[in-house]
Amino acid sequence: MRRVRTIPYSATARPDTGLTNARLAMWLFLASEAMLFGALFSSYVLLRTGAVAWPRQGDILDVPLAAINTVVLLASSGAMWTATRTVNAAAQRRALALTVLLGLLFLGLKGVEWAGELGRGLRPADSNFLGLYFLLTGLHALHVLGGVLASGWLLSTAASAMRRDPALFVTRVRVAGLYWHFVDAIWIVLFVVLYLT
Amino acid sequence: MRHSIIRKPLLRKYFISTDHKVVGLQYAVTSLVFLLVGFLLMLLARWQLAWPGTPVPLVGAWLGEANAPGGVILPEFYNQLIAMHGTIMVFLAVVPLAVGAFGNYLVPLQIGASDMAFPRLNAASFWLYLLGGLVMLAGFVAPGGAANSGWTSYPPLADLATTGQTVWLAGMLCIIVSSLLGSVNLITTVVQLRAPGLTWFRLPFFVWAQLVTAFLLLLAFPPLQAAALLQGMDRLAGTSFFLPTGLVVSGQAVAAAGDGSPLLWQHLFWFLAHPEVYVLILPAMGIVAEVIANNARRPLWGYRTMVRAALFLGFMSFTVWAHHMFLTGMGTVLSGFFQATTMIISVPSIVVMTALLLSLHRGSIRFTTPMLFALAFIPMFAIGGLTGLPLGLATTDVPLHDTNYVVGHFHYVVAPGTIFALFAGIYHWYPKVTGRLLHDGLGRIHFVGSLVAMNGIFLPMFVQGLGGVNRRLYDGGLQYAHAHGLAGLNVGMSYAAWLLAAVQLVFVVNLLMSLRSGRMAGDNPWQATTLEWTAAPTPPLAHGNFASPPRVFHPAYEYSVPGAAADFTPQNEEVG
Repeated sequence: MRRVRTIPYSATARPDTGLTNARLAMWLFLASEAMLFGALFSSYVLLRTGAVAWPRQGDILDVPLAAINTVVLLASSGAMWTATRTVNAAAQRRALALTVLLGLLFLGLKGVEWAGELGRGLRPADSNFLGLYFLLTGLHALHVLGGVLASGWLLSTAASAMRRDPALFVTRVRVAGLYWHFVDAIWIVLFVVLYLT
Repeated sequence: MRHSIIRKPLLRKYFISTDHKVVGLQYAVTSLVFLLVGFLLMLLARWQLAWPGTPVPLVGAWLGEANAPGGVILPEFYNQLIAMHGTIMVFLAVVPLAVGAFGNYLVPLQIGASDMAFPRLNAASFWLYLLGGLVMLAGFVAPGGAANSGWTSYPPLADLATTGQTVWLAGMLCIIVSSLLGSVNLITTVVQLRAPGLTWFRLPFFVWAQLVTAFLLLLAFPPLQAAALLQGMDRLAGTSFFLPTGLVVSGQAVAAAGDGSPLLWQHLFWFLAHPEVYVLILPAMGIVAEVIANNARRPLWGYRTMVRAALFLGFMSFTVWAHHMFLTGMGTVLSGFFQATTMIISVPSIVVMTALLLSLHRGSIRFTTPMLFALAFIPMFAIGGLTGLPLGLATTDVPLHDTNYVVGHFHYVVAPGTIFALFAGIYHWYPKVTGRLLHDGLGRIHFVGSLVAMNGIFLPMFVQGLGGVNRRLYDGGLQYAHAHGLAGLNVGMSYAAWLLAAVQLVFVVNLLMSLRSGRMAGDNPWQATTLEWTAAPTPPLAHGNFASPPRVFHPAYEYSVPGAAADFTPQNEEVG
């Protein structure tokens, strides 16, 4: 049974704009996310350039673990890319499942990293660097968690959604993919700024 | 279908619906209540300003011993009143009314869409806004009372303030997320769901204003979100992002790592809060444009120029924020840049105002109640705007900064400016919502009373400010010799505030009474051209808006077209 759509352009693009509603909305949302992280990165730059002393970041943080985590997240983006491109429903579901698993692995490793730092007695209050580190990575982890939940929901409803309205489902997976790649890109900036500079 | 708005099952219709009109009404009622709450807080503060140290009559006993022993307002409580007045008015009253209520209700109708692009997201925005508002109000029962660091929440003060500030930050995060979801939804709706034939330059100016506003909210609010997170960390996790090294408060060194920057907050805050000024004013311009074109029976003069001015205004509003910070010790180069951008941004506002004024030329003007409010908007906003120019230039800003002159300036922009436009909008579109007209005589009393009272409150502020009286003074400045001669003005200003309260009662009575006994409006009581009147029945259908999808053949304001059958040509009237 096909669901009756009252809102046009949910699954198919509007001819003159070339966009579905969800795709445009996601781009707009990502623009606001860019402003959010942009403001936090600007704060980082302002605080660091104004600081009397700034710790050697790489000496405090676990760079190898974060590097492994970077590879994990990049791999998850690869899986998501497959999920958005494939025309084979089963392959799409496998790719989504892999994305979710790699996202969870990233969060697990991040948790291990945080536990290690907290175990060594490092606290946000110690310095502005550590404060920003915990805030930025924590906020990013929440974004990954949001992506995992969204992709997990897509995965759990994939079978019925493909039967009911395949075009809408494909649109949803593509929009989730946009978000996932954005979160991945933010991590790469975070990794460079917090660990490598 | 002419149904009374009250008879339907209330719960189903007004609480769990995702229809954009219901969400718009939810926003309207909630934001009007907050407008009243913000106003009442100020009435309390104005008692203290006019008669410092005397017990507040009638309600003084209810304020609590901690806030007002014996009914006399304490300085700490006064600070809460002022901080919460500003916060509530900007974030919970005026913007939600202008954007949440008017935008939600009218934009889909004006573009010929059956609903917003994401109806459930739309409902979620409202509930998050309501949650944020309730959290904000909950601050009053927090230990130490509500937030008391001003609506700007400047650190280090706000970093070290009582628990109410943490509650303020939590409420603000809810409001920001609500506003982001709302603006994503509105932009998507305008871009994607315009009716066939409704090209960009056939959109009503109101829709353009809402679109630019949504972009401002979308891109300016996240930096405040970042700032709120940073301040929350400072307050809860003990970081010192905004606390400088060696900070001493009341003779005691503050226990924090230090090395932070109080100025960072100001940059992040004003990066939002200056575009926020245009969030306040653009929807107001949009409403006034609709009302003026309709009641002057003329097309808007220079419609395309107005649209381009609004777009330019939106863009420029991101480049002027530091004109709030001339006294922070920024260099002359930086200050020169922000003075230049500030002077430039006044140009598009003046373009829009001039176009509105010229639209009246050779019109056959109907002086309806909405038109009176719209006409008064022009000179009132002009006073607000022009008094802003000396604040945008560093030399004149130095003596005027943080005085009552500034308070007078932005209140002229927002109160007899934006709020007058919102009143115009309510009188204009009330018949669309309810099917009945508001009472005209009561409307005129409301208009004249508000105009006199608002000028009575805000005009003396310029005098006080030019005399050097600082804002945010608990006793209105009595502790300073130079303020003695000007403090007496506070009595008259407070009387004007009671008058303003009295005429708002007339307005509330009118809103409620006309629901049942107002004159029936018919489908198009104002003989307007835009789709919400010409293609949709009045009051509108419960769902779907239009019996059949409308097609558009005309620009938005085809009034008094030579040779046409009537003095207005509906946008959806077929050609030939």
